Amino acid sequence: MTAEAGVRPGARTQFARRAVGSPGVRVAGRRLLAVIPVLWGVTFLTFIVMNMLPGDAAQELLGANATPAEVHQLEIQLHLNEPFWVRYGNWFGGLLKGDLGTSLSGGQPVTTILGQRLPVTAELLLYAFVASVVFAVGLAVLAARRPNGIGDRISMAVSMMGLSIAPYVLAPVLVYLFAIKVGWFPAIGYTPLTQNPVENIKSLTLPAASIGFPLFAVYTRLLRADIVEQMQREDYIVTARAKGVPPWRILIRHALRNSLFGLITLVGLNFGTLIGAVAIIEPIFSLPGVGAILIESINNRDLPVVEGIVVIFAVITVAANLLADLLYVALDPRIRYERAAV
Amino acid sequence: MRFRLKSMRTVCLGLAAIVIAACSSSSSSTPGNNTSAAPASGGSLTVLEWSGFAGDWPAGLDPATNTNGAADQSQMDAIYGELFELGPRGVIIPDLATGYAFSNGGKTITIDIRQGVKFTDGTPFNAAAVVWNIKRDLASSCTCKPVWLVKSVTATSPSTVQVNLLVPDGAFINQIFDSTADWIASPAAVQKMGEKAFALKPVGAGPFVVVSDTPSSVLVLKKNPGYWQKGRPYLDSLTFKAVGGDEAAYEALLAGNGQVYEDMSTPALLKQAAQHFNVENQLSTSPYDLQLNTLTPPFSNVKARQAIYAATNFAPILQHIFSNLYPMTEGFTGPGGICYQPTVPGYPSYNLALAKSLVRQLGGLTVNLGTIQNLVAQYTTEALQTEWQQAGIKVTISSYPLASLIAQFTGKKWQAMVQTAGSYDPAAGVGVGFRFSSLSPFSGVHDPHLDGLLNQAAATVDQSQRCQFYNQAAQYIAQKYYGPFYFAFAPANIAVRGVTGPGLSQPLPAVVVTPTILWEDVSYNKAAS
Amino acid sequence: MSAPLFRPAGPQTLLPPEVTAPKRARTRRAENWTHDLKITIPLGLLILIAGACFLWPLVYPVPKPTGGSILDAGLPPFSPGHLFGTDAVGNDIFSRILYGGRVSFEVGVSVTAIGLVIGGLFGVIAGYLGGITDAVISRVLDVLIAFPALVLALAIAEGLGPSELHVIWALSFFGIPAVGRVARAATLALREQTFMLAARLAGTPRWRVVLRHILPNIMPQLMTFSLLGIGVIIILEGALSYLGLGIPPPNPSWGSMIANGQQTLSSQPELVLIPSAFLFVTVLSLNLLGDALRERWGVR
Repeated sequence: MTAEAGVRPGARTQFARRAVGSPGVRVAGRRLLAVIPVLWGVTFLTFIVMNMLPGDAAQELLGANATPAEVHQLEIQLHLNEPFWVRYGNWFGGLLKGDLGTSLSGGQPVTTILGQRLPVTAELLLYAFVASVVFAVGLAVLAARRPNGIGDRISMAVSMMGLSIAPYVLAPVLVYLFAIKVGWFPAIGYTPLTQNPVENIKSLTLPAASIGFPLFAVYTRLLRADIVEQMQREDYIVTARAKGVPPWRILIRHALRNSLFGLITLVGLNFGTLIGAVAIIEPIFSLPGVGAILIESINNRDLPVVEGIVVIFAVITVAANLLADLLYVALDPRIRYERAAV
Repeated sequence: MRFRLKSMRTVCLGLAAIVIAACSSSSSSTPGNNTSAAPASGGSLTVLEWSGFAGDWPAGLDPATNTNGAADQSQMDAIYGELFELGPRGVIIPDLATGYAFSNGGKTITIDIRQGVKFTDGTPFNAAAVVWNIKRDLASSCTCKPVWLVKSVTATSPSTVQVNLLVPDGAFINQIFDSTADWIASPAAVQKMGEKAFALKPVGAGPFVVVSDTPSSVLVLKKNPGYWQKGRPYLDSLTFKAVGGDEAAYEALLAGNGQVYEDMSTPALLKQAAQHFNVENQLSTSPYDLQLNTLTPPFSNVKARQAIYAATNFAPILQHIFSNLYPMTEGFTGPGGICYQPTVPGYPSYNLALAKSLVRQLGGLTVNLGTIQNLVAQYTTEALQTEWQQAGIKVTISSYPLASLIAQFTGKKWQAMVQTAGSYDPAAGVGVGFRFSSLSPFSGVHDPHLDGLLNQAAATVDQSQRCQFYNQAAQYIAQKYYGPFYFAFAPANIAVRGVTGPGLSQPLPAVVVTPTILWEDVSYNKAAS
Repeated sequence: MSAPLFRPAGPQTLLPPEVTAPKRARTRRAENWTHDLKITIPLGLLILIAGACFLWPLVYPVPKPTGGSILDAGLPPFSPGHLFGTDAVGNDIFSRILYGGRVSFEVGVSVTAIGLVIGGLFGVIAGYLGGITDAVISRVLDVLIAFPALVLALAIAEGLGPSELHVIWALSFFGIPAVGRVARAATLALREQTFMLAARLAGTPRWRVVLRHILPNIMPQLMTFSLLGIGVIIILEGALSYLGLGIPPPNPSWGSMIANGQQTLSSQPELVLIPSAFLFVTVLSLNLLGDALRERWGVR
């Protein structure tokens, strides 16, 4: 944030003061401490839920024609026979040391599996977010330029469609149109970035669009509403207008800039909640990401892999929430942040 | 245990593949591709595999540790080759082995090993390596291990392996196909890399070498330059990719993201696919059957079982759900396998009036009919539900994910299940014993007489004698109303035009649900596509 | 879930836009009229679809959604007696749409109602009481938000077997924290208002403050949020059925109809198009209605 003319005079110094000053740091510290019980709660809940399922990994691995002795042998080998608390303790202890255990069905370390698959998912989500934010900003500015004009109505209609279409309906439509009919993008598969950057982007475009279109719709609507409100209400805009600053400059430099904070907040909140979308979309496009193995791992009772994925997404969610809260506290003087952000 | 019981996982997945594959008879309109012109060398193929079956290899591709076993047969064969291959019309093709002989009344099997072959790491392929592999397979904790009752396995010379069994086994060679013992890993590589690293980048003596492997996702292979068979393989590279299902695979082929899809089974799509691609229907070996649990009510009562036979009419189901693609059968054998017998003397036919009166005599009949979570299987149970309701039977249906399906069987409380039974050789793969032997956890039948018949059949080396035992067994199953059979099913392989080879432009019999494509003989002539 | 709701509404945002930007009477009348249309059209569509789903089978005989004859399998749309045709086992698709729609509405409304009652309660308590109560409730909501609802739904479906009730439970874990956070944020914003301070100074009991001052003031925000929430839940129910974890077969649900249809999309696209269209129009109507009400009530 740079202190340019017209942007809430003194905003930068206020920001700096607040960031260094005690309340913000206190809030951050308290939030960081609060992350630990949340992470613990999420992993513990997952452990409980997975333990309630019928059958265990040993039975699943050996098949039903295994003798009880064989199953018992493997249970000992996999430490499945130990009490719930011991197993959870071992796992959580490992987590604190950065060790997520070993996959029960594949025998590979979970960190290896995640290391192989997480980059694909991360790239997919990043692509979806960046694209949806960029398009949302463009469309929202276009729409807010003349509220209730033709551009506004079209962009609102497009974003309303995005809000209402299910990703599992959208994905096949995109495949039909852009993979089969015109052949711009592949229908399935993933090309690593290191192998061919152009093919890499192409291979992720349709899945990123399936995940990103609904996000884009939400962002566009939020941003447009924010900009329109800013343009109508905020004193500094009125002042700028009165001073004869050109309308587009007010729109981009002032209204959009100040409206972006709301968007950042929302992007942060959304990031971690996409585990479900990833689990549905990745298999449709045969992407070798973490979503593709989540459901299979649950079916296989492969607890370490499920926990590994859940932890990653929980950390992302919590971190994004924390960041969003802090940003919000720092940016909006109207809030009594000490209470609001706790 | 006499009957070879594959890992439950493989079997159930196998059923899913079978069940899904439901339609393709007349659509094999383009089988004339096996032209006499010499196949062109070169080219690359991307092969799509359903992520619920062949496209699933979470534990890697080491024969001794791959819990998915025969489901991944295509990848395994491309990397390791096979000792023996099952060729068109059931011909046994010597691959890395050159011959075999039974002796000692079926208790001793001598296998001749091909000489002058090297693993792709440069170490020699010989009898000692084969013995090391078979012993390792037998000792592994995986239930995909061979279940022969082995007394000893020895290398009697650098080129002969002798297997001594405790009991005679006439089906030994048929049981090797697509079993872990058919795939020989390089002992030096396993020891050098360690089991886990080896599973991710395995070393064999097959037509292809592993370039990279993301388990259950992508496997990239390239031609083995030192392959023992001169001029093979034809392809320069071969890539396996997991894909979500038949429709996704079909769309991917249309979009040009792959050239081959194995095991398509959705009837409506097979018709559609025939318009653009070569659809190769395989020879059916594993009939659908309806398992009844004789251990618990209601099917502990023979009248209830008889009522099911009388109330079940497979003809309209075959016509409308499976587009009449498969031959009806009354036993556990199919036209692609040995001992095929489509009609069984004394098989009880559809008779709604009889069914109604039996249900009345029983004072009503309530059945829970289950199957694996799969669309075509679910449709089948829905259609059966409607038919049985006409006879006054109350039916609830359930479709279970794999884990829950296993739990149903181990819990022994299940009543009726739509499954598949049979194999190229009834004693091999997911054979008849899997569904009908007392020893099998997936059997609803516990009858010493039937066990005796099946054991005698498996122990007999002479094939016509074996078939007689199997025919008796089929007759006995019908007579006791142990479970009706529908039709002999097999999935189809889809390939873009220009791809030729056994299993792609020429039908192959299946050992475990689906046939194994002989990848060294597959070629891709892009000009013809 | 949309973010504006996580942002405490300032006092001025509760006022309708007309107050700050007065317009001439004629445009205002025209605007009122379009505003009415913005409410009546989606509301009418919703009543039409929901009414058809719940009432049509009562007043006009339709074939059963399950147990169709295999001999009628695969009929195209507009076949005699089967407006939308039949599926692969001979069930009437029109009937399956109606009964599947019931599931969507029942799940959507129940989950949202549970979310409103439980999430709303905890959100208001946390926001109003503050302190340690707020900290504890907020952490629990954080856990629920960070906990992937999909994992829970999978577990419930596998452990207890798929059923409509279990779907409602599983999705409630998604609805409760979302509503909870909105209610907390809205309450928090109200706390700072002068009339609240006045009530507190006048010695009004806490429960009365909550009932008389907080609930009526946060209701519009919660209601519009819930309308949008029903749409989200209907899509999520479809996702669970799509993954085979929702309504057990053979009973219909729009999600499972779409999932099953997608397996033969290339040969029979209508099996996907019909339920997709109903799903889309229903969710679209809910979103449009929520939007229009938000505008009318001046809620952000």
